[in-house]
Amino acid sequence: MSPNRLHQHTNTAPFAAAPGSRWRGFVRSGDCGTLLLFILFLCVPAARAATDLNLTATATGVAITPSGANYQSSFGTLNALGVPPAVPTTGVSIAILSNGALYFTTLNIDISGGLSGAQTVNVTAYASTNFGHPAALIVDSCPSTSSCTAAANFAAMSTNVGGQTTVIPSMGKNTPTQIGLAIFVPDNNGGTAFAGSDSATITFNANINGSGTFVDTVSLSLNSPTETLQTAVQLNLATHGSGLAVTAGSDYSMTFGNVNALGIGPGAGLTTVAQAGGIIYSTPYDLLPAFSDMSSTSASISVCASMPFTHSTILVLEDSSTGAGGSFSNVSTNCGAATALTSSAGDRSTITRYLGLFVSNINGLTAYTGADTATLKYTLTVP
Amino acid sequence: MKRITLTIATMALMMASTAFAATQAANVATVSPTMNMSATIQKAVSLTLSTGATAGISHCTVTAAGGSPDYSLDFGTVDALGINAGNCNKFNPAAAGVNDAIYWSDYQLLPVYTTHKVFAGTTVTAQVTTDFAAPHNVFIVRDTSSSNAATVTTPSGVGNFTALSTASADTIGASGVVSGTALTRFLGVEVTPANAANVLQGVQTATVTFTLTVQ
Repeated sequence: MSPNRLHQHTNTAPFAAAPGSRWRGFVRSGDCGTLLLFILFLCVPAARAATDLNLTATATGVAITPSGANYQSSFGTLNALGVPPAVPTTGVSIAILSNGALYFTTLNIDISGGLSGAQTVNVTAYASTNFGHPAALIVDSCPSTSSCTAAANFAAMSTNVGGQTTVIPSMGKNTPTQIGLAIFVPDNNGGTAFAGSDSATITFNANINGSGTFVDTVSLSLNSPTETLQTAVQLNLATHGSGLAVTAGSDYSMTFGNVNALGIGPGAGLTTVAQAGGIIYSTPYDLLPAFSDMSSTSASISVCASMPFTHSTILVLEDSSTGAGGSFSNVSTNCGAATALTSSAGDRSTITRYLGLFVSNINGLTAYTGADTATLKYTLTVP
Repeated sequence: MKRITLTIATMALMMASTAFAATQAANVATVSPTMNMSATIQKAVSLTLSTGATAGISHCTVTAAGGSPDYSLDFGTVDALGINAGNCNKFNPAAAGVNDAIYWSDYQLLPVYTTHKVFAGTTVTAQVTTDFAAPHNVFIVRDTSSSNAATVTTPSGVGNFTALSTASADTIGASGVVSGTALTRFLGVEVTPANAANVLQGVQTATVTFTLTVQ
């Protein structure tokens, strides 16, 4: 027989349980026999008018798995550049940012039982057990009042029980309310660089609006399986200002168009530079290195002509740091001894180089007119 | 069994980490994107004019006009008696009022051609394409050479000049003109002693067209 039916109580004032306690419901104090009621309540918790804070997955969000009275989940394999194979757990999206990557999802929070129809709660949260590498992995949240499909609406979640982050300002019972949860993976090189497994636990607390009375708490552990953070490297090429267009696609391409050894009529984005034996068509372009969770804060970049022009004595690829006359030198055709462009490339830096196409002025049987192609191979190495 | 299958799938995914686009990769320290380069080579020709540098004579300045015409050369004030000095050199008439006077200068032609498979028969020609007006009491003359040599004999008298054709191109650099080797040639205006109601006076201009043909 239920204790509640044995001991009718009229005092509906909620019992204030401390945050983090395992009491998940109202305890009514009353007329008599309070101690006995309290003991019975502890012995038969299933029979009380429970007020439960629950987490559930949204239709598009990450799976949330109950674990006792709490929950578990995982965002999967992550890196700061959002590059493959960082396709994380189903339901987690990636927002690639200028300083890292945000892996985000949504989840529902609802509260059931106990509350009167007019009562609302607010839900706060904090990383009660933060990641062991807080410079590499940061718990973010998005409040229910925002659209949690945009990275801009996420912010770092508190790690302080005394200053928790409000994720739901107001919620009635039995009203699942969606919030956003994210792991921000910032670019993180040098001494705090980390690659490996890590986990965190987020504690949610519900308090009645107005009275501020605590009503329930649950935690979500990001440990099933643990999050896996990987190193990542990226090297993009891009058009520089009014230079010749660098076109993306397998991986990049650059078209010099019609060229001749006299430098007559260079195409848009090209300038000509005098060179004995012919002429150099020159264009600036940008190298955009990015890397994360590397112990080194600088990288080297080299280039080689992995496939020189078929008419390699007539068309030669050259490199320069300034584009000035006399500054160009041949790009190595030996990728085992590639031409060094820099040994101090910083993460997310922009390095402008000049690519030259030397056109020989040779006449005779070896002269060639027509199209020709070559391939440059750039290599970014983070030591 | 399910656990084993999942493990294998996870390992396969991790092993595939470097098989994506070559601009980026995870769990490695090196990435190597490529860039395809393309160009279409064309053959090219160039013929530029400049002020002569022949020793022992004066030089009228060849000025690049940067448009149409490409260059200009001014002989200055000339007359059929050779009274005016002109801007550079002159040959006075052998008999004043009977023979012509010639005001002249050297100049240089620089033929350049690239990426030609056949070029042994390359020539340079000149033609008056816009002549002085009738009655042609002044006309363009050139040195009589048609050699492909870099330099030709410096004229020593009116006999070393001949009228530059207005009807067809005269060869001033014979077959075998070498790319990159400047040709020094001589050009002038010959003034006749004609008197008539319509003789040309004052500033007069004509246009000479030079043609480099690589063949």
